[in-house]
Amino acid sequence: MTAFVYQFLAFAYQVADVFAFLVLAAGGLAIIFGMMGIINMAHGEFITCGAYVTTALVRAGLPLPVGIVMGALFAGVLGIALERTIVRRFYNRPIDSLVVTWGVSLIATQGALLVLGSAWTSVGTPLGSIGFGDYSFALYRLVMLAVAIGVLVGLYLLFMKTRFGVHARATMQNPAMARALGVPTERIYAQTFGLGAALAGLAGGVYAPTLTLSPTMGTGFVVESFVTVVVGGADVLTGTAPASAVLAIIRAACTAAWGQVFGLIGLLVTVCIVIRVLPEGFSGWLMRRRA
Amino acid sequence: MPTETLLELADLCSGYGSTPVLQGIDLSVQRGEIVAVIGRNGVGKTTMMRCLIGQLRAWSGSIRFKGNEISSRPPEVRAHLGFGYIPQGREVFPRMTVEENLRVGEMIGARTDAKLYDIVYEFFPILAERRQQKAGTMSGGQQQQLAIGRAMIGNPGLLLLDEPSEGIQPSIVQDITRVMQRVNRELGTTILFVEQNLDVILALAHRCYVMDKGRIVAERSAEELQDREVAKRDLQI
Amino acid sequence: MTLRDIPVLFNGPQTLGRGKLFWLGVAAVIVAAAIYPQYAERFAISNTAYFGVWVFMALGLGLIWGYGGMLSFGQTAFFGLAGYAYGVIAINLGAAHSYPFLALICALAIGTAFAAVLGYFMIYGGINGVFVGIVTLSVTLAFATFMNQTAGPQWRIGRARLNGYNGMTRIPSLSIDWLDGHRIRFEGATFYYLVLGLLVVTYLALRVLVNSRFGNVLVGTRENPERVELLGYDVRRYQLGAFTIGGFLASLSGALYTAWGNFIVPASMALPAAAMPIIWVAVGGREDLTATLVGSFVVLYVFQALTVVSQEYALVAIGALLVVTVLIAPGGYVIWAVDMASRLRRRAGPSPPLSDPALKARTQRG
Ligand SMILES: Nc1ncnc2c1ncn2[C@@H]1O[C@H](COP(=O)(O)OP(=O)(O)O)[C@@H](O)[C@H]1O
Ligand SMILES: [Mg+2]
Repeated sequence: MTAFVYQFLAFAYQVADVFAFLVLAAGGLAIIFGMMGIINMAHGEFITCGAYVTTALVRAGLPLPVGIVMGALFAGVLGIALERTIVRRFYNRPIDSLVVTWGVSLIATQGALLVLGSAWTSVGTPLGSIGFGDYSFALYRLVMLAVAIGVLVGLYLLFMKTRFGVHARATMQNPAMARALGVPTERIYAQTFGLGAALAGLAGGVYAPTLTLSPTMGTGFVVESFVTVVVGGADVLTGTAPASAVLAIIRAACTAAWGQVFGLIGLLVTVCIVIRVLPEGFSGWLMRRRA
Repeated sequence: MPTETLLELADLCSGYGSTPVLQGIDLSVQRGEIVAVIGRNGVGKTTMMRCLIGQLRAWSGSIRFKGNEISSRPPEVRAHLGFGYIPQGREVFPRMTVEENLRVGEMIGARTDAKLYDIVYEFFPILAERRQQKAGTMSGGQQQQLAIGRAMIGNPGLLLLDEPSEGIQPSIVQDITRVMQRVNRELGTTILFVEQNLDVILALAHRCYVMDKGRIVAERSAEELQDREVAKRDLQI
Repeated sequence: MTLRDIPVLFNGPQTLGRGKLFWLGVAAVIVAAAIYPQYAERFAISNTAYFGVWVFMALGLGLIWGYGGMLSFGQTAFFGLAGYAYGVIAINLGAAHSYPFLALICALAIGTAFAAVLGYFMIYGGINGVFVGIVTLSVTLAFATFMNQTAGPQWRIGRARLNGYNGMTRIPSLSIDWLDGHRIRFEGATFYYLVLGLLVVTYLALRVLVNSRFGNVLVGTRENPERVELLGYDVRRYQLGAFTIGGFLASLSGALYTAWGNFIVPASMALPAAAMPIIWVAVGGREDLTATLVGSFVVLYVFQALTVVSQEYALVAIGALLVVTVLIAPGGYVIWAVDMASRLRRRAGPSPPLSDPALKARTQRG
């Protein structure tokens, strides 16, 4: 009996772990896609950037939470800079935006390899772990879950309760009309891109203590984030969050049954099925049902 | 009443892609006036409105508002200068509530008077009732009232109103007409509107321009408009 | 059909370059390429063949992306799958008889079938442009991740060890036994001639294809899918057709590459390798086969020259080239140069400026 409870707990822990990962990895990408309809192929590099800034600051003696916040802010500022200089020229050419951010990603990764060398050791995971029976759970994983939930709640409040949120949603639904009512849509786009990049940086910062840092580490996040955005669709709250939950269960189950790689393959198979059944993802499907 | 020109278009040309639609519009609106632009379908009335708010670029000619040339300003700047735009087809934000739609109309920077909300809710009681309803689930008439209220929240000096009666049941058209008269009288808001519904034109307009094939082809004074037959003929030019 | 009609097959609104001068040029290039091995070093011949091997993948992506409007980041997945398939089959069958050739055929079938299945799910799932990009990239990266962890001895198919990160080695070269027992081994100059022949055939066949109804429907779908659908075409069939042919060409690259180098590694499909086809195609010009072909060779050559300095510098430079291209010449430099030239010619004199309808359409759009 208790063995069963522990097993269940272990599975729930795995699911929560994957859920947090997917929400954090995909949130920034989904926000940008939901607003501007473009996919930021340099998403992984913003994650990398957050991880490096966090690690560098922690090594310099700052506490980890401060490092993470600074990492997110730094990535956000870089995001705004990228939007202002390049991305904004591509809002009516979404496929070219894919190509151009892809080029940026290549430059960033290879440039970082030149500047930073191939790998940094991480600063190590804080907080230790607690044990139940034969199982032990790293407390930092629970912190990650809390951060992921915090991000979702924060985004909900931001989009539903603030003036920025009202403007952002109006811009999402009808940019020309929003603009005619005085909403500075270009600024909203820049802010949204910055927010997406900052969330990517946050993900990098949060995961920095658990990973070996390398300029190509962002690649380790992109497949999952792409998959989550494809399954979730254009809205973070009604798409990314439920998609993360469903994919987390599938991945945890596949991993438990056959191992890590099959967890990933399970995700891809799910994507193929979902796009066949719900081409606009969860959020598009929900929107259609409510309309 | 001292007249002051609020809006003045001179030889305005515009269109879509390389197809010209507006072929030199001349028109002026005095402060406090209600002016109608009438004409058949497809003559370019909506195109002119979109050019006024800045959704379409003016190819040539000038748009002066309060004496300043604004034809190169983007739409959001024009909104802040005092344009309140109510497009044909209303274009409310369907997945936002009535209240949120109104909030989009607020101008950043300008202190928004809670009084403006009271005024809008008083003019359109249905909006107060439906504050929390999603705009996309409302009827056409309610959406039209919301679109007008949304523009009024920005406290505009000039309302640009494109076919407010289109696809709306007659009783609500009358309500809207009465409210627009009050807006003009009580708030002093100038109104430039496009309309094909004869009753609305006769009830609302102080003066009226007739448009055909992208040009203003006639102007009718209040007296001339008294003659229903004249107005009817103008609509069929 | 008479001999007179044949040029019509190769020319049309979807390709630049027509008329005697262009085709004389093509013939001259082919002749030059054919006699080149007489005058070149062994290494240079092999290296040129190596460039040629990649060009199939580039032409395939040109068809999918340039003509079909679907940006696929998955070409290296088909490349890798076919490469591994060739390796596994060739190792298991051995190099006797025509077995390596049989392995090549099987590898092409496997890679193409995979492209068809993936394309089916995407295209019939009705996902749009950007999503095609990220789904194909996800599949590619996941496949590379999978191959990376096949290091252990349990990962073997018959006699072929997959070898994880280090990849499969000692894969037999391509060879064929003729009926009289005469054996052709495709190595060195022989391999070069094989690649050259296949390239000429592929280029001409694609020209016929894109100027046929298939090509017109495909391009029409890229520009305005609703309208093409209204005309009664099932656009998805054409898109899937293009995607599958593109997958076939990537598979051809992959299998030939593996036969050429006798090895295949997961890194040849993962990042940054997956970025390369996009760059070859974007820089030359994706909406024209000749532009893609020329651009690919140039970029491959330049990239190799830069790599001698440093792999990372080369990639930064090539990434910058991509960004700059999309910013200033979104159609690619070959197309851009052709447009410029025709614009200058038009300004210069009264001679009939644009005899080419594709070019005319392009300049009008721009
Ligand atoms: N988005 C558009 N793109 C191209 N042509 C348009 C567009 N909108 C309107 N037109 C054309 O412009 C002309 C004027 O249209 P419009 O201004 O909507 O007329 P009205 O409002 O007077 O009925 C029509 O011929 C119409 O076909
Ligand atoms: Mg109209």
